[in-house]
Amino acid sequence: MKRKLISAIGVAGMMISLAACGGDNGDGDKTGADGYAGETLTVWVMDGSSPDQWQKDVQAAFEKKTKAKVKFEIQQWNGIQQKLTTALSEENPPDVFEIGNTQTPAYAKTGGLADLADLKTSIGADWAESLNESSIYDGKQYAAPWYFANRVVLYNKKIWAEAGIKDTPKTRDEFYADLKQIGEKTDAEPIYLPGQNWYHFVGLTIGEGAELVKKDGDKYVSNLDDPKVAAAMETYKKFQALSKAPKDKDEATPQQAEVFAKGNVGAFIGMGWEAGTAVAANKKIESDIGYFTIPGATADKPEGVFLGGSNLAVAAGSKKQELAKEFLKIALSDQYEGELAKQNGVIPNKESLQTNLKGNAVAEAAAPAAAGGGTTPLIPEWAAVENAPNPVKQYMTAVLNGKSPAEAAKQVEAEFNKRLSQQQ
Amino acid sequence: MTVQTERPPSGPVDVAKRGESGPARPRAASRWGALAPYLLLLPACAASVLLLGWPLLKDLLLSFQNLNMAQLIQHATEWNGIDNYTEVLTGDEFWRVTLRSILFTAVNVALTMFLGGLVGLLLARLGKRMRFTLMMGLVLAWAMPVVAATTVYQWLFAQRFGVVNWVLDKLGWHSMADYSWTSDQMSTFFVVTVLIVWMSIPFVAINLYAATTTIPAELYEAASLDGAGAWKSFTTVTLPFLRPFLYATTFLEIIWIFKAFVQVYTFNQGGPDRLTEILPVYAYIEGVGNQHYGMGAAIAFLTILIMIGLTAYYLRIVLKQEKEQEEAGL
Amino acid sequence: MKRSLFGRVWPNATAVVLCIGFVFPVYWMIATAFKPTGDITSEDPVWFPTDITLGHFRTATSADHFWTFVTNSLTVTVLAVVFSLVIALAGSFALARMRFKGRRGFIIGFMLAQMAPWEVMIIAMYMIVRDASMLNSLVPLTAFYTMMILPFTILTLRGFVAAVPAELEESAMVDGCTRMQAFRRVILPLLAPGLMATSMFGFITAWNEFALVLVLNKDAEAQTLPLWLTSFQTVFGNDWGATMAASTLFAIPILILFVFLQRKAVSGLTAGAVKG
Repeated sequence: MKRKLISAIGVAGMMISLAACGGDNGDGDKTGADGYAGETLTVWVMDGSSPDQWQKDVQAAFEKKTKAKVKFEIQQWNGIQQKLTTALSEENPPDVFEIGNTQTPAYAKTGGLADLADLKTSIGADWAESLNESSIYDGKQYAAPWYFANRVVLYNKKIWAEAGIKDTPKTRDEFYADLKQIGEKTDAEPIYLPGQNWYHFVGLTIGEGAELVKKDGDKYVSNLDDPKVAAAMETYKKFQALSKAPKDKDEATPQQAEVFAKGNVGAFIGMGWEAGTAVAANKKIESDIGYFTIPGATADKPEGVFLGGSNLAVAAGSKKQELAKEFLKIALSDQYEGELAKQNGVIPNKESLQTNLKGNAVAEAAAPAAAGGGTTPLIPEWAAVENAPNPVKQYMTAVLNGKSPAEAAKQVEAEFNKRLSQQQ
Repeated sequence: MTVQTERPPSGPVDVAKRGESGPARPRAASRWGALAPYLLLLPACAASVLLLGWPLLKDLLLSFQNLNMAQLIQHATEWNGIDNYTEVLTGDEFWRVTLRSILFTAVNVALTMFLGGLVGLLLARLGKRMRFTLMMGLVLAWAMPVVAATTVYQWLFAQRFGVVNWVLDKLGWHSMADYSWTSDQMSTFFVVTVLIVWMSIPFVAINLYAATTTIPAELYEAASLDGAGAWKSFTTVTLPFLRPFLYATTFLEIIWIFKAFVQVYTFNQGGPDRLTEILPVYAYIEGVGNQHYGMGAAIAFLTILIMIGLTAYYLRIVLKQEKEQEEAGL
Repeated sequence: MKRSLFGRVWPNATAVVLCIGFVFPVYWMIATAFKPTGDITSEDPVWFPTDITLGHFRTATSADHFWTFVTNSLTVTVLAVVFSLVIALAGSFALARMRFKGRRGFIIGFMLAQMAPWEVMIIAMYMIVRDASMLNSLVPLTAFYTMMILPFTILTLRGFVAAVPAELEESAMVDGCTRMQAFRRVILPLLAPGLMATSMFGFITAWNEFALVLVLNKDAEAQTLPLWLTSFQTVFGNDWGATMAASTLFAIPILILFVFLQRKAVSGLTAGAVKG
């Protein structure tokens, strides 16, 4: 998923009995064919995560089956957690919403998500276990896995040809040499890599086999001072030096795809669908966009990647629990889950649906790395770390501005640990 | 938008006039007369209690609670005594931010008042047409809504294609060609300060200019008869006359600049590395951003106390003046 | 007093420089908004746009609900200013003209109220409004904006009321007017410039507010222009043309209002200063 931005949170906690505000809010037993006529289901999806066509198709199918209406509301990643938290506390929360996989444990813990055990039984038997991991908290199913994706290199074929490069690189060193060559032979910026594309950095740490946090007694603490993390950061720094992008901004400010769309950037590291953003900004770029797997240290193993993903959850405070589940049954059905995978080139929640990715350039570039992908730690404490200002991003900027990785790790350690131990 | 001040009672002319005016005393004796001021103030007080007092009280109550995501979503109330305050006050972060806020306010207010004062005096010296032109320029800057102004400053100081970097580069300072103003604490503060001073000078300048126009010419004549030069008549006539205006304007600027949330937050979100967070931004990031609402409420309350502390001196002056005026017969 | 040539030139020269300094950001905003993108992202700035385009304005106004935001912003701002003026007029009359117990307490109270850092109390306000089931409505917004500008309005109007000579009021009453009539026929017309001057502050405050509306109103139908403007940074990224066009559109009403009211306001200010 597109974990572009800052997500914010403070993990919250206090185990209040979920039954107190859980499911049965007078939904009634309206299961007849016209049972839901006149009702409207509100669904929050994140900007860019599902194509318009998919929304239209799901809407049509949903309205046909339930006679109720569905309203999609597009949300921005920026500030979503604050918005979601307050919304979940309100009388009319969004009935169904997309939620990032790394955010899910924290929200599951708050009691704001409805228990979807019955949905798991009815449609989730063959959800891929590794993808469903983030939806389970304390043994209960709080969300349904929707789609997953990892970053690839999107490149401008015209610029690469202009620089005289024939093949896409297979190793990190080849990749670097190619970019160098672009810098020398063309007047394009070889790569647009802002200083805080931190999900790519997380991918690099996964590639190094590093952990961002470690256990200290019963608490989690920063592990940024691990030499493996430093090695990942050095790789990042080496490539970032080829870019004119700001060292203190992430890939969404400005949207890197829009910078790329101007046609003067050789490559950027992003989600496959960001090509769509670029095309929307400049139609002419469409035929020039190519994709390849982020090359790793050796040709046989691609770079480590952050395996982002989004789940769909139902608000515990929604008054339309049954209708919301009807929606999930349609949206996550083989037909529409497959359609989403096909249109966006994302990994679907079941192995059996992966055939939809055949022939999809993005998916074919992403797939080799996915096997070695990972996530940020799936612990409720993690969410607070992602709050702006995210200490990992600060660590990155500090290193890029000349501090040694060890110094930078020390600089943000206090803040990092404070967030991991934040009272809940 | 103007500043009104209480002239010190020793000030010229109006005290005597006030003494004899005593409005409609006979009526004031009636019962209605005694109640009238309270009735007139009732709507304002009712609004203040409902719309300011209530949120304040709520904020105070929240500051004694452990209120995070879960509690907000569940509508749960968990009292935790003074834990929030202990945590805030024992950490050094709060004190660092407080000190930074005070310095930030002091620098900005000093610059604004000094430069604004000079511009005000300049306005008084200009010819009619030039004064009108400069006034229009000031008004344009003054009228820029702060959200728009901050956006414009982001563009002026943009790393790429920002006009400021271009000018600095052309002036021979080539390292500034692609300089990122948001990447450093001091350069962020620099831009925010330029923005705030730019926005605040017009208010100070126009007010002071308006005040100088009311200085009776006789005072200057008397001063020059006494052989006072330009500087002497400035210090003996202009400055004392303007003092109440300066006090009142400084008070307003202190509270406005201390609360400069939008400029700081919109420009760089308190970054880099949280190094430009001033108190309101710190309270917002800890409370709303971090979803640590109880903690945010505690910081908010402390912020209010600090602000009252900063302005206490002026409030005492006002109290004294009002008292003297009442004694002089309003 | 005779002045040397230098003495006559430097104030004017300084004034010109200052004027450019103050106007430039505003000019640059408007100029950027009209420039084609190529001119905006050129290595050397284009100081005077020759190629004028309205494209950025189209981009900016084509945002969903744009006109709803305009209507909402205008409604909330105008109502808040009017309410606060009416409430403040009554209060400031009492504070300026009457002598009563607790008067100083009220004055200090309003001065303290003026210091309220609203941004940091947002969650408290949010919870109050949420628990009163009034989210996604313009009513609480109008109410809070009224309160945000009320203390300043009262304190400022008090000065203007005090500046109207009490003798005028008295002579009107001698002529048989009640105090209310005297107020309406004599004082109110004289206060007009003061009211305008004061309302400018209210306008700009209410027009600008975004932190509160962001958390209170998630429904686009009840949102206002500042949200639209701040959302540009996310939606448009580095499209400075559209961002500046949006800023221009956002600033224009206030700029016009200020330029229009400025003369009256300064004369009101001067009148107010005659008697502090």
